[in-house]
Amino acid sequence: MNEIFFRFKNLYWFFIALVFFLSFVGFVMIYSATSGMEYDILSSHILKISFGFSLMLLVGVINIDFWKKNAFYFYVFCLLLLIWASLFGYIGKGSRRWINLHGFFFQPSELMKIVIILALAKFFDEKKIKEKKDYFFLILPITMAVIPFVLILSQPDLGTASIFLFVCFVVFFLAGLSWKFFMSLGFLFLIIAPYLWNSLKNYQKQRILTLFNPENDPLGSGYHIIQSQIAIGSGGTLGKGWMKGTQSHLDFLPEKHTDFIFSMLGEEFGFLGTISVIGLIALITYLTYQISNHFTHDNFSRMLGFGVISNFFFASLINMSMVIGILPVVGLPLPLVSYGGSSMLSYFIGFGLILSLQRHSKLRL
Amino acid sequence: MMSSEFNKYQQLRRRSLILGVSKSLFTFLVCGKLYYLQILNKSKYGKLSDLNRTKVKILYPERGKIFDLYNKPIASNRLDFQLNIFREKKKLIKKYISTLANVISFSQRDLEDLEKNIAQKNLSDFIVIKKNLTWKELEVFELISNKFPFLFITKEKVRNYDNNQIFSHVLGYVGYKQDVEEEKLNNLKFGIAGIEKIFDTTLLGSDGWIKLETNSKGKIKKEINKKLAIPGKNIRTNLITDIQEKAFNLLSGISGAAVMMDCETGGVNCMVSTPSFDNNEFSNGVTNERWKQLIEDEKDPLLNRCIAGLYSPGSTYKILTALYALEIIGFDHNKIYFCPGFVEFGNRKFHCWKKNGHGNVNLFDAIKKSCDCYFYNLAKEVDIDSLSRFSKKFSLGMFTGIDIPNEHIGIMPDKKWKLKNRGEKWQGGETLNTVIGQGFTLSTPLQITLMTGRVATGKNIKPSILKTKNIFFEDLPFSDKNLDFIRRSMYSVVNDYDGTANSSKLRNQYKMAGKTGTSQVRRISKEERESGVLKNEELQYKLRDHSIFTCYAPYDKPKFALTVIAEHMGSGSKVAAPIAKNIMELALKKFI
Repeated sequence: MNEIFFRFKNLYWFFIALVFFLSFVGFVMIYSATSGMEYDILSSHILKISFGFSLMLLVGVINIDFWKKNAFYFYVFCLLLLIWASLFGYIGKGSRRWINLHGFFFQPSELMKIVIILALAKFFDEKKIKEKKDYFFLILPITMAVIPFVLILSQPDLGTASIFLFVCFVVFFLAGLSWKFFMSLGFLFLIIAPYLWNSLKNYQKQRILTLFNPENDPLGSGYHIIQSQIAIGSGGTLGKGWMKGTQSHLDFLPEKHTDFIFSMLGEEFGFLGTISVIGLIALITYLTYQISNHFTHDNFSRMLGFGVISNFFFASLINMSMVIGILPVVGLPLPLVSYGGSSMLSYFIGFGLILSLQRHSKLRL
Repeated sequence: MMSSEFNKYQQLRRRSLILGVSKSLFTFLVCGKLYYLQILNKSKYGKLSDLNRTKVKILYPERGKIFDLYNKPIASNRLDFQLNIFREKKKLIKKYISTLANVISFSQRDLEDLEKNIAQKNLSDFIVIKKNLTWKELEVFELISNKFPFLFITKEKVRNYDNNQIFSHVLGYVGYKQDVEEEKLNNLKFGIAGIEKIFDTTLLGSDGWIKLETNSKGKIKKEINKKLAIPGKNIRTNLITDIQEKAFNLLSGISGAAVMMDCETGGVNCMVSTPSFDNNEFSNGVTNERWKQLIEDEKDPLLNRCIAGLYSPGSTYKILTALYALEIIGFDHNKIYFCPGFVEFGNRKFHCWKKNGHGNVNLFDAIKKSCDCYFYNLAKEVDIDSLSRFSKKFSLGMFTGIDIPNEHIGIMPDKKWKLKNRGEKWQGGETLNTVIGQGFTLSTPLQITLMTGRVATGKNIKPSILKTKNIFFEDLPFSDKNLDFIRRSMYSVVNDYDGTANSSKLRNQYKMAGKTGTSQVRRISKEERESGVLKNEELQYKLRDHSIFTCYAPYDKPKFALTVIAEHMGSGSKVAAPIAKNIMELALKKFI
């Protein structure tokens, strides 16, 4: 018991404070998005933050060895959940991706994004460089990545699938696979791209085309991007003030408490607000780099740290790029800020792993 | 082995560095775009967001009311419910108009107006889809309104005439102007005719605007700011509703006019022209078919006969001829002429209206009995140019200067006029026709009223519809003695047993003075004269004589001057005089 308390005390509380602050920003924005009126959304969000926080602390208190030792079991468990969700799951937003746990909806695909990092990091940690240059050897990790990817894509959930694929690439990249591997993958992508394009649903194609010319169809799919840009741009330097965003409060901004929450932040808190949130995310990322770099001779820990934080960082910036019109809109929430349960839980678990790493790094020194 | 392991760590370090750098680049890209949106283009996006949420509505001023002399409203405003849509949603109109047509009836004209409204690019963000919604349409729309959140009802104040038809000619009506300078006022109605036109600037007021905040569905959330419209000023006229109504009713079924003037102020108390039209219908936008129908109507309901209907003054003109003789020629009123029923002049016979003649008559009797022969004889001493000048002092052949538009000047002929308009020299026989008010002379009922009023008061009174203060009229340069003679003779026309209008004397304590007249529409040929002049009733309607009566009362203290004309109704004593009597009785009873 004393041991547990000691571990708890040794957690990286400054880091936890930053994470808390980011979720607090999310709460503030959701409060504004609902005009402080929709108590069920607000209370559900608070509940999820509290649950996520507890989960993060729990994961952080457990030693990293435990996660490393059981990484493959987690992977298999998570894969089973994913298959189950894909076959029998609850259908929402036009895709079958939810598991209903007594009224609490949960997406295994979100959890998979963390578990795949854990599993791949463990896999690559034990391999030598020479082995990684052997294409035959790569069949296993690629299969590990492709099966969940196909499952998620078939739900269908393009947003999560692409970010999942991206995370896998990051881990592959960190693992030190040769440039040739990525080049041949890129070449393969070019070949199958037309087939992929044809397999996309019409609305998905439209979203990608819209990115290049939003004014093309200002009342159709370009509408969201235009309104989002107007919201952010009209915020100016200091913003229109909390709860005073006209674009968001008069419903010109779509999905303002989920995917487009960053636009609302830009409108109400201006450039100062958006830059601060980016700064916060950058700081969290930087601190994780610092933690990971302690493990000069432990590739698992380093890969895990980089992988987990890359998941968080890229999800954040891709969401922002979406709402400011750099990338197509693919339905991706802003981590910890947007309203939405399972993705938030997976990020909290990720941060828990980082906390565990940090505790571990201090023990070593 | 060691070096390989070492390389493994080195490589991860290097790769993580590359990853870090790409993250930084990504961050800079996002920050750059944010800087572009929020700092560089703040004003552009700020304007776009304002355009999104704000809607401007032009506030039209409420038109000033028009009151009668006793502050009874004769032109006021009613609430009009109108169906609107925001300009940005105009594409939806075409999509839903057929659905809406199940609930709200659209006439061809409504659809044309809607097309125009859509095409117009004015400041207002509102497009009016349909005006004049009925209560039933409102009720039904209320039930289905949640299906059409982009449609909404507005309330406007629009012109309404409480006594439509009765005041139509004098009040005029309102309507859209084709060439409005300020485009935003395209939906504002201006005065098109009558008082509405002349006093338009007073009645109009000035417009305002309101800025509203709406959400993305077009639902109005709140008003941001506004500049209120300034309502037009009310005006008070000299018209008296009761008299106007009475005159209108008495003239029903007759084409004619009645003009009554206050002799003290020149105020026009009554101005009725029949047949009339519905000025409410005109103000709401008359249909093309209806307009065509009115234009082609032979009875010309759109003509304001009081100021633009032209009639020979007939025998009513004799009072001026007589006054002229006394004042200018120095004619002795005791001079007696014998009336055998006709007078020979040159090689032509000029007939009296009484076939067998009046026998011996003096000037007084000649007026009382309206003997034409007496005036034919008198005409031999008359210089037409001088008579014409004299008559113009009584407003014949002159603009009266009344404050409503489209007044007709009429004709008071002289030698110059004849030469210019007919290309011939003045003939002596034409003077004979002129002195009994036939021939070339044409006058409006208002001019005849003014003539009577000036004779009655001896003052140079001027007519006005608008109630004005501080009125002063100069005396006319004629002797009281001569004026009095004329007045007395007019008194006898009504009150003596042998006066032409004896049957129309007042049935109350007041005495009325007046003069009958018959305005010839045709010339009676020699053959007809010999075979016996046709009675008026035997003639075709269009050829029948107009019945005229002009009068004033009370005799001893003139208050009202009145002229009634009934077209194609025969002699003045038969139709016009009884109508005038009824109007005058009401006026004297209630408004003296």
